[in-house]
Amino acid sequence: MPPNTTDRKPADAGRFELTRWSMVVAATDGDSTQARAALQHLCTTYWYPLYAFVRREGHGAHDAQDLTQEFFARLIEKHWLESVDREKGKFRSFLLGAMKHFLANEWDRARRLKRGGGEAPLSLDAQSGEARYALEPADRWTAEQIFERRWALTLLEQVLGRLRREFVAVGKEKLFNALEPALTGGKVAYAEVAARLNLNEGAVRVAVHRLRLRYRDLVRAGIAETVSDETEIEAELQHLFAALAG
Amino acid sequence: METTRPCPQCQQPLAPDAPDGLCPQCLLKAAAGPPPASAIDGLHGDLIDIGDPAEVAKRLPQFEIIALLGRGGMGVVYQARQLQLDRLVALKILPPVDALSPDFIARFAREARSLARLNHANIVHVYDFGETGGLYYIIMEFVDGANLRELFQARKLTPAEALAIVPKICDALQYAHEEGVVHRDIKPENILIDKKGRVKIADFGLAKLLRREALDMTLTLSGMSLGTVRYMAPEQMDKPETVDHRADLYSLGVVIYEMLTGEVPIGRYELPSQRAQVDVRLDQIVLHALEREPARRYQHASEVRDDVEKVTGKPRRPPPRR
Repeated sequence: MPPNTTDRKPADAGRFELTRWSMVVAATDGDSTQARAALQHLCTTYWYPLYAFVRREGHGAHDAQDLTQEFFARLIEKHWLESVDREKGKFRSFLLGAMKHFLANEWDRARRLKRGGGEAPLSLDAQSGEARYALEPADRWTAEQIFERRWALTLLEQVLGRLRREFVAVGKEKLFNALEPALTGGKVAYAEVAARLNLNEGAVRVAVHRLRLRYRDLVRAGIAETVSDETEIEAELQHLFAALAG
Repeated sequence: METTRPCPQCQQPLAPDAPDGLCPQCLLKAAAGPPPASAIDGLHGDLIDIGDPAEVAKRLPQFEIIALLGRGGMGVVYQARQLQLDRLVALKILPPVDALSPDFIARFAREARSLARLNHANIVHVYDFGETGGLYYIIMEFVDGANLRELFQARKLTPAEALAIVPKICDALQYAHEEGVVHRDIKPENILIDKKGRVKIADFGLAKLLRREALDMTLTLSGMSLGTVRYMAPEQMDKPETVDHRADLYSLGVVIYEMLTGEVPIGRYELPSQRAQVDVRLDQIVLHALEREPARRYQHASEVRDDVEKVTGKPRRPPPRR
């Protein structure tokens, strides 16, 4: 079994106010260590969609790396948040808006001034970013569409990665591999899977059931991290769904 | 690049960067909207269709499946004929249990035996139980009638009708509690009335057998199964390991309230006499049964029965035994 969902504490109940983006939004002084760590985490998770956006906007690989790095440096180190319109809203929209603003107003000046050394606040794996960018779909997607599609895929990769780790941690990776296709909502050939894994069918059914619930919780919790209000989760899900269609 | 194969769900071509080779749109769709569909009383399709009649007939050839009587969180129930004895029975197929938990089979046998020992006119009799190929089933007395929920839906009970039912429920509970069995899931769906007006409680102890409280809490988090939770005593949610027979008395209080008013008591609820034309002494009975703290509640089902009968003025006869 994966981490036993029946024993699970009400993981998502009542914890909304603690999600990362809502914490950043709530930190009015812009100086809260916790809020800063939260923002850093969010940026680390979602940097690649932004990188893909910058590339598709026409910046070369080298520039895009510098630019993304610089953007995050300002965002995290310089409390730049305060100078940006930081009303309630989604982290995704905020990040894209801030980047557009940065590209339009700050980047040329920043490049002229050139950052004087200092540690980069986020270690972005620029090489892998470029390798991944090479696989982005061809021209029919605009920069903004690429950003949003990539955002949705990033969320799903995070969730699937986490689920897999949970199974691996209890020595059930084979079970995960067998059941993972069920996450797209399809029928499962329970008896067949049971025979293959030498389990009884009831056990497989329970495992699929739990996997689906856990997956759903993780997706919604992942989205909750990026919105400022619980009521926005469903709308954001629908938005990302539409974004995948292009 | 390899030719893209379609998603088996939506038939759209799969992008080469689909996470783990799964269709991202179907993945997101599966997380959207209300919690997993086909949930009937809280159970996901994965857990329900094990009770398909064809499947059941194949695995239990000693029965002829006649009709579907109901399905819910505790499984699927069929009216069936036990061919060898030529008798009508209710055949309950339990939802697939976590058979990976090593103690389940032993627990199932132990619990089912104690349920089969219950022998009372107001308790649905358990004839037999077993397991075949991962399918767990219980064979029970067939009650030709309706459950209390179905009666509510047909029409509102009169207070006199409601109050005639309560002592029967109390008798059954008192007997079971003396036998050391707690029902744990008293609700209108589990209270059956046959065509001759006899009251029979079904599914004694199943909640414990299936570790239903833990499951309910999980499902409730996912927005399901609130139906059952409304009848649960507070300690069943907070400290399920401490639950004793007094949890049944709380649930009984909820059922009485609902029988009298048509509503379940939630939050700051009105007294029964404020909502319906009933004797004010019933307010005290309901409030006493609904005490949050088990120690402040009625301690025995027989006390509820006695208090209700003081209101109705019915003389007490010894409880029927078969």
